[in-house]
Amino acid sequence: MSALDELRQLRRGGVQVRKRDNKAAFWFLAPWFAGLVFITIGPVLASFGLGFTKYNLIQPPRFIGFDNFARILSDERLHNALGVTFTYVLVSVPLQLACALGVALLLDRGLRGLAFYRSAFYLPSLLGSSVAIAVLWTQVFGTDGLVNRVLGFFGVEGKGWISDPDTALSTLIVLNVWTFGSPMIIFLAGLRQIPAMYYEAAAIDGASRWSQFWRITLPLLSPIVFFNLVLQIIHAFQSFTQAFVVSNGTGGPSDSTMFYTLYLYQQGFSRFDMGYASALAWFLLLIIAAFTAINFWAAKYWVFYDD
Amino acid sequence: MFRGVRRRTALAVLLSLTASLLAACGSGSDAGGDLTTEKVTLRFTWWGADDRHKRTQQVIEMFQKKHPNITIKGEFKEWNGYWDSLATTMAANDAPDIMQMDELYIASYAERGALLDLNEAKKHLDTTNFDQKALATGAIDGKQYGLPVGLGMYSIMVNTDLLAKYNIPLPDDTKWSWDDLKAIGEQVSKAGGGQVFGVQSPGINDTAGLSIRARQQGKALFDKDGKVVLPPEIATQYWTYIADLAKAGIAPPPSVTVEKASAGLNQSATATNTAVFGFWWNTQLTALTAASGAKLKLLRLPGESQGRPGAYYKPSMFWSVSSRSKHPAEAAAFVSFLANDEEAAKILLTERGVPANLKIREAIAGQLKETDKAAKEYLDTVPVSDPPRITPNGASTLDAILKRHTEDVLFGRTTPEAAAASFIREVQSEVDAAK
Repeated sequence: MSALDELRQLRRGGVQVRKRDNKAAFWFLAPWFAGLVFITIGPVLASFGLGFTKYNLIQPPRFIGFDNFARILSDERLHNALGVTFTYVLVSVPLQLACALGVALLLDRGLRGLAFYRSAFYLPSLLGSSVAIAVLWTQVFGTDGLVNRVLGFFGVEGKGWISDPDTALSTLIVLNVWTFGSPMIIFLAGLRQIPAMYYEAAAIDGASRWSQFWRITLPLLSPIVFFNLVLQIIHAFQSFTQAFVVSNGTGGPSDSTMFYTLYLYQQGFSRFDMGYASALAWFLLLIIAAFTAINFWAAKYWVFYDD
Repeated sequence: MFRGVRRRTALAVLLSLTASLLAACGSGSDAGGDLTTEKVTLRFTWWGADDRHKRTQQVIEMFQKKHPNITIKGEFKEWNGYWDSLATTMAANDAPDIMQMDELYIASYAERGALLDLNEAKKHLDTTNFDQKALATGAIDGKQYGLPVGLGMYSIMVNTDLLAKYNIPLPDDTKWSWDDLKAIGEQVSKAGGGQVFGVQSPGINDTAGLSIRARQQGKALFDKDGKVVLPPEIATQYWTYIADLAKAGIAPPPSVTVEKASAGLNQSATATNTAVFGFWWNTQLTALTAASGAKLKLLRLPGESQGRPGAYYKPSMFWSVSSRSKHPAEAAAFVSFLANDEEAAKILLTERGVPANLKIREAIAGQLKETDKAAKEYLDTVPVSDPPRITPNGASTLDAILKRHTEDVLFGRTTPEAAAASFIREVQSEVDAAK
């Protein structure tokens, strides 16, 4: 048998194998596909329709045109919720990324036991949006909590941080900053991509560490910073669990932890106003899309691609 | 090949859709018919704490022994998660057959057509031993959407151990005014030295206090048609009082009040012995006594002797049957068992309130603990007036709205006057939105 025949045979066999593979793959994909259609795409489309109706979950939806969207403009509690959410996003995301980058730079210097530190810093990201951590948070920042114990040790009198509307949101911002692990991992990978020769050349020219960071690290890392920024902003806009658990589902005290998503949830499930809740969901999509678009537009001016 | 797969998949999808549609309109017995002899399963849901789950489960087993073909599946949750999940299952057309229903929500569910008119199941549901006034609390436009389970009254609970410790005499609750409560609270706070406070701040958990304030002055929160008729002056007076308690240190600092409110009954100022007077439902006496370990006594609300009595019987909860239940007759029979069976009552006792069924109330009298007896005696002796209108459709967030306004007042984010106006406006718009 010549090599050519063999190849031909192989290809034929290969084709057959591939065909079988396709079939199997299709069946393996089917559950996911069914889920995509029935659990994701279907409801998403339905919610678009429901946004134009009055729907109380029990009686059939009634078409009311753009009323729900008009209400978005005049709903004062929603405007407060938007304020809370914007504050949360605009304060916690930059802080979180700064922490992530800082720790990534430290870890990138070839620490002993790197794998351990990497996991240790990553852990909060896995736990951060869980109910358990949110419950823990209420304990840590409670009147008799850890924070006040430590403050008491230094003779400072604490207060109920979560139960005071002036500080409740800050505790959630701290929680989000604490979960800097996942952007940190991405930064670490990015740092590894920067060729060492740039630093060597800079060192020979006598550049300080500081200017090496500003002139080499940051520009070459900017695509990664951009990626993390987009991702974390979207993520922060969708935060729900923390506020829900910490405030017992109320968004209180005094609506100070009323995230957009929590307000949306209350409209749907406490006030039985699924139509308005659907409209709010689509409005949130617009907000996130707008933020992402601005991000991409601004990226032209500061993101540097090294190719 | 791909074609074949696609066609087969489409067929499978179609078949399963049809099957679920058929299941959805499956034939059920009607409420007035005879009980079935076939095997049926009913779902029964309630909210509450551990003690309630154990007692209820026991009663379910008793019922199943009497009706071997009926299986009752209990589903229980905490108060908060309960309403979220009930709303979701309703929307999914998957509501439990029998539900524990609350006064705040009953109109919202009934007026949306989710609840069965129990009169249709009269054949299986015995209500002869119920007081007519109590029964009326579960009826809307002559239709009985809920059978009241127990009755409760809003009251003051006083920690007599702490009062004795500070040598402060027990106030005469047949005469005392709101100013008297403030004065004695101030005495307690002084003696408590920052650890124990006079009064646990009201306005955080329950709208009953505001309602009673209005009733004492001959007014109400809602009129017969569900319109908000609370005069702004009364709401202003209510929040001024709450703000004064906090400012004078008679109530704990606002952030402590808010924290304790979200931590549940066992963390409340009454349960932790950090406030001497607290506003509670009389039926919570047993739970709070157990939690605090102190001697608690029920007092009438202040101001009851100055104006007309504002106190009233509030149904602690109702039994309701889903309008979409496939077995309404069997569900009604189970509700009837819960409400009328003496053996069942001896297990349930007053855990869901002092029974609204008068015959049952007497039947269990001998078995009650001291605190339960005190709660029953309070209900039997304290003068009341006609109950207020049931919370109208759409206003089921009433307590949450009240709490938010109280927080705004406590933290100085608004004035009592502004809170009063905003509260009235918001509740009215909730009622209007549900129409």
